[in-house]
Amino acid sequence: MKRGLVVLDPAEVPADEWQARTAAVQADLAAQGVDVALVYGDVFASDDIAHLTNLCIYWNEGMLAVPASGETVFLTKLSPRVHPWMRRISTVERIESGRSFGALVTKLLGERPAGTVGLADAARWPAAIVDEVRAALPGWQVRELPGLVGDRRAVVSEHELALLRTGAEVVGRAAHEACGAGLTPFARTAAVERIVRGAGFLDVQTNTTRAPDGVVGVQVTGQYRTGWLHAARLADAEDSAWAGTLRAALDAAVDAARAGATGETLAEAAAPALAKLPEGTDAQVRWVNQTDLASAGEYRRRAASDPLPAGAVVAVTVDVLFAAGDYAALADTVLVTEGGARNLTGTHEEAAK
Amino acid sequence: MTTVSDAATSASATASDGPEADAAERTLRHGKVRAAMAENGLDAVLAYGPGWRRENVRYFADARVTGSSSFVLFPASGEVAAFSTRRSDLPELRRRGWVDSADTLDVWDPAPLTDRLRDLRPRRIGVAHYELLPAMLAEALRTALPGTEFVSATSLLDGVRMVKSDWELARMRRSAAVCAAGWDAFVDVLEPGLPEYRIVAEVEARIKELGAEDNFMLIASGKDEVRGMTAPTPRVLQAGDMVRTELTPQMDGYWLQICRSAVVGKPSEGQYRSFDLFNEAVEAGMAAVRPGVTAHDVAKAQNDVFRAHGYGEYCTSQYTRVRGHGHGLHLDETPIIEGNETVLPENAVFIIHPNTFTPLAGYHVLGDPVRVTADGCEVLISTERKLFHSEKGVSA
Repeated sequence: MKRGLVVLDPAEVPADEWQARTAAVQADLAAQGVDVALVYGDVFASDDIAHLTNLCIYWNEGMLAVPASGETVFLTKLSPRVHPWMRRISTVERIESGRSFGALVTKLLGERPAGTVGLADAARWPAAIVDEVRAALPGWQVRELPGLVGDRRAVVSEHELALLRTGAEVVGRAAHEACGAGLTPFARTAAVERIVRGAGFLDVQTNTTRAPDGVVGVQVTGQYRTGWLHAARLADAEDSAWAGTLRAALDAAVDAARAGATGETLAEAAAPALAKLPEGTDAQVRWVNQTDLASAGEYRRRAASDPLPAGAVVAVTVDVLFAAGDYAALADTVLVTEGGARNLTGTHEEAAK
Repeated sequence: MTTVSDAATSASATASDGPEADAAERTLRHGKVRAAMAENGLDAVLAYGPGWRRENVRYFADARVTGSSSFVLFPASGEVAAFSTRRSDLPELRRRGWVDSADTLDVWDPAPLTDRLRDLRPRRIGVAHYELLPAMLAEALRTALPGTEFVSATSLLDGVRMVKSDWELARMRRSAAVCAAGWDAFVDVLEPGLPEYRIVAEVEARIKELGAEDNFMLIASGKDEVRGMTAPTPRVLQAGDMVRTELTPQMDGYWLQICRSAVVGKPSEGQYRSFDLFNEAVEAGMAAVRPGVTAHDVAKAQNDVFRAHGYGEYCTSQYTRVRGHGHGLHLDETPIIEGNETVLPENAVFIIHPNTFTPLAGYHVLGDPVRVTADGCEVLISTERKLFHSEKGVSA
């Protein structure tokens, strides 16, 4: 649940970078003959909108209208009462509230001559809202625009990377602290909350899982400004052979996470270690771009052969379902470079070594 | 008659724990849903849970699910199946045992779900949160079952979930205890110089230590200029600020909210007058509650207090119209607002909160969650309704 700090700070991301992000999308729209794009988000996932505007949809739903030229407009079901705050924390000047997206879209575009409207990643929108938009714009061509914003976010800017590094140190530290010996699962979660939210994160999700041999899994996913970080650790794992094996598998996968590597490459690198896990375990190795961590990559259509791009920040995870039904995971967030991966969340483990 | 929860009431809730109580609750739910399905001519209900609306999945599975998309397939007869996009959900879904099977789901290729649906040969399926079903999944369902009629079952499940059983109320009382602890933590940390987001961090840590799964929280600090609450900001507290919050922890799936305001230092006369006005409105709302009352009636009772004191305009859409909302597996169930004729039966749970702006002291936040009883309402939280204040770090 998003209830943390939202900040628009030109010292962190300068105004011209925000403008350039929107301008790049607008150039794309002009080249494709699309008059206006609509980008949908809800309280669970609205990172494309945040990437263009820094808006946080802390409740309900919203839609960003990006014309091929001119100002962007935020359409939302949230009350006008929150407009002043939304203007304060975002680059958006014009915000329209209403009870339905159909009515809001009609009000925004209904007076204009019919043209082409593009729906960014329409397959992920609620189908009912796609239908509402179509019905609201009779005579308009409605086109799906997969990856319109998301694909542009795959490789981070220098400013984004600086924020991700800051966030990664916090998430890594929180995951490390939460694995203190003998803590209850609730205390582990509380430790993460205090550290991560206290550091000014917008969002944090903590999950604790039971694993064999009394081991506890702690998975931490946090959003710092508009970027996401993820780390997973094991607590009370000193006497567990499989935990060391899983660590070796993650280390191998992270070592393999260089530019051009694929999910298959990572899985192959981790395979020798994973082969030593107890019989009946179901192990997986995967990477998720930090841009998709709000939904853990579950809405990203990605093939195992998709290459890791240089300059991307990704979470590399090795997780296991045990025959008895338990679950454990280890994960780190890394910067992908031509020369290899730079582990951003693993600094505390490195120091411990 | 208004009563307040006490330790004895809370203690009796433990009778609703254990495998037998769980089994009875599950049977009760199945019966309620199947009766509603029969009335609506449904062969199956498909509860869809996007990341921010998982209440219906929880209703059937009684498991904390974290996947971006999850489903429970509940047929008119036969096995109940759960699906989640996140495989770390499977152990919990299976351990709770409320569903007969649990499997992972790929939203781009949901064959495990569509194959199972096809085997049922359904003529009419009700989808809870059909309005939020992503296009790729909606298309997959339509393609796999071309002869099947899909309708929304969102209202059906809302209706089924409105009346809480003793089993559910026991869980909501635990949420109530966490509300109180969360508010204590909130007041404990208030002092000049503290940024809003650090308050949230401390409250979150405290309620998570007590087992809260999640929390919805809005906050605002400042003086008479404050018009509403938002996510926390970097603003640092100053002496004389009123700090407002609605704090909504989730325990065992169930959300409950407490609304309070506290002053950093000694409250002003305007802040006290504001509290008195809002407290009178809360009490009027409570006095209106009885089985069969409507959401409109409860809202109107609160608004009438503002109108009587000459502050009626602050109950309009220009400010804040909502006077509370239902609670349960979703934190924001039926709105308590004039014009909503939804009947609130015995054992419905909702918060009464007349939160809005007035010139007395800016936006004021005050409210208690209540249960509809046979002759009135029961206030579910033990936290006193008063204008709290903190002297920490404030010179006398």
